[in-house]
Amino acid sequence: MHPIIRLVNRNLTISLNMGFVIWQIIFPLIYIFVAGFAYTALIHQVPFGNKTLDYPAFIATGMIGFNIMNSTLISGIIIWNDRRHGMFEQILVGPFTRAQYILSNVYTIGIIGLVSASMITAVGYPLFFKQVEFNILTVPLVIFASITGAILFGSIASIISTRLKSSEGFNVVINTVFLFFAFVSTAFYPAQGAPPILSTAFYFNPLTYLVDVVRAGIFGYFNDLVATEMIVLGVGAVILFLIATKLLSKLEL
Amino acid sequence: MLYCIEARSLLKSYGNFTAVDGIDLRVQSGKIFGFLGPNGAGKTTTMKLLTTLIPPTGGQMNILGIDAIKSPLEVRKKIGVVLQQPSYEPTLSVEKSLEKYGMMWNVEKKIRKERVEELLSAFDLVEIRKKKNDDISIGQRRRVQVAREFMHDMELLFLDEPTVGLDPSARRGLLDYIKVKVKDGLTIFFTTHILEEAEYLCDDIAIINKGKIIAVDTPEDLKNKFGREKTIKIHISEQKNVSALLSEIQDCKIEYNSGIITVHSNKSELVLQNILQILASNHIPVEDLSVVPTSLEEIFLSVVKNSNASNNSSGQ
Ligand SMILES: Nc1ncnc2c1ncn2[C@@H]1O[C@H](COP(=O)(O)OP(=O)(O)O)[C@@H](O)[C@H]1O
Ligand SMILES: [Mg+2]
Repeated sequence: MHPIIRLVNRNLTISLNMGFVIWQIIFPLIYIFVAGFAYTALIHQVPFGNKTLDYPAFIATGMIGFNIMNSTLISGIIIWNDRRHGMFEQILVGPFTRAQYILSNVYTIGIIGLVSASMITAVGYPLFFKQVEFNILTVPLVIFASITGAILFGSIASIISTRLKSSEGFNVVINTVFLFFAFVSTAFYPAQGAPPILSTAFYFNPLTYLVDVVRAGIFGYFNDLVATEMIVLGVGAVILFLIATKLLSKLEL
Repeated sequence: MLYCIEARSLLKSYGNFTAVDGIDLRVQSGKIFGFLGPNGAGKTTTMKLLTTLIPPTGGQMNILGIDAIKSPLEVRKKIGVVLQQPSYEPTLSVEKSLEKYGMMWNVEKKIRKERVEELLSAFDLVEIRKKKNDDISIGQRRRVQVAREFMHDMELLFLDEPTVGLDPSARRGLLDYIKVKVKDGLTIFFTTHILEEAEYLCDDIAIINKGKIIAVDTPEDLKNKFGREKTIKIHISEQKNVSALLSEIQDCKIEYNSGIITVHSNKSELVLQNILQILASNHIPVEDLSVVPTSLEEIFLSVVKNSNASNNSSGQ
């Protein structure tokens, strides 16, 4: 077996526990149904490009983006725990290189993100299937958003995990940052109709771009804004990944 | 291959501070090499260099015939390392962490299973096999950490103070397990500040202080070189001060304290004869007598003290 596959195997073994599955899959599903239907009374319809979406369809697709972001927390947690419990050094004094360690984290995020996003898509499908317009041109948008989003947020989580020293600090910082990303975004409510300050703030948040591109893919709507968002996502992912890799490879032993 | 480890002028500096100061090392295959030194001497840093965890500032290293600076990964594939710092997967059970570690080293599944069982019993972990690493004591965790390293095949094993935190029986168990593995052809680089351990275990010992190696030898020869000195204790019943009587004897240091004569000497046989003669001719009966060889502990302290002293005087 290739060293990276062995590291991914190990990453999945240490990360997959009941708490994580609840947070990663059960919670979003409950949220889609409870919040989706509860808020339908307040938000009937959401304009989206040339069509209008039901709120449950809107939030279910938003959850996919939210979920991809959440999966990437795993990479931060793995790096953080490995440093704290000595496994970072132990792995690097074993038959592995730093590059393999970094790549194994990227693949771990990819696998967890893909599996949980697929599950949410499958379960949420009945909510948005009437409005779905998948086609050969738009499906790649979903894939593009998933991959760049995973790399972008995974890099952010990794950067935080390499910069902090105390464990309380790590949990507080990572939860604050990701909570901000989650709620100041178009994942749960549309930018249209939000107060101007908030809707501007939405666009300082990569999750908005991720979610918008996922929706564009699922509902088959593409325009200049979506194209711009894709560029921002792609460039952001590359830059943050380079920074994260640099920090990880400089990490003192 | 005669030498598993050959290092020349190995140097590691952190800014202005030199942690490892141009040391030369040679470790023979199939032996247990003890690396001894007080805290902060540079043992861990040397180990991190030899295991390619950190790059040296200068010097050369050849590990198992491989240039360790050019091909660190090739070296790491053939060695095992138990670092001084604890390492564990908090969420895994004891047995699962052994199993997964074997998987990480690409050990076949069937062999993994066998080794897990063997190591659980060899390291007295059977009772806690299902417990999570987070829920066991520090000493138990250390045992898991050391046991884990034997999951994979290797030619050379580095152990950085592996017995710290272990109780005496676990400590002895580990040292004996190591001895068995060495019989099977493993070479061990063993770091400790506990001399009895080095004496019990090691074929060769190097003493490091302030980043410099100040002595390398077998435990026996170290003793001969530095520890020919013996301590003689003579109990006498006479309550009079014998210091004056014994003051003529050469080649020794004599103290007298309420009925006990303590003598330190490199020529203990000769000195003892003289003392006994003097006591006999003065009709002072001997009640008890003992001669103890100087322990490695004392040698270590005196070697380190001498090296500190010569450093200080040359530094002026
Ligand atoms: N990363 C580092 N930066 C600066 N100084 C260090 C670093 N690592 C070790 N040292 C210093 O190097 C010296 C040797 O440390 P170490 O090798 O850990 O000693 P030992 O293992 O013999 O107790 C100590 O004075 C220590 O403070
Ligand atoms: Mg040390």
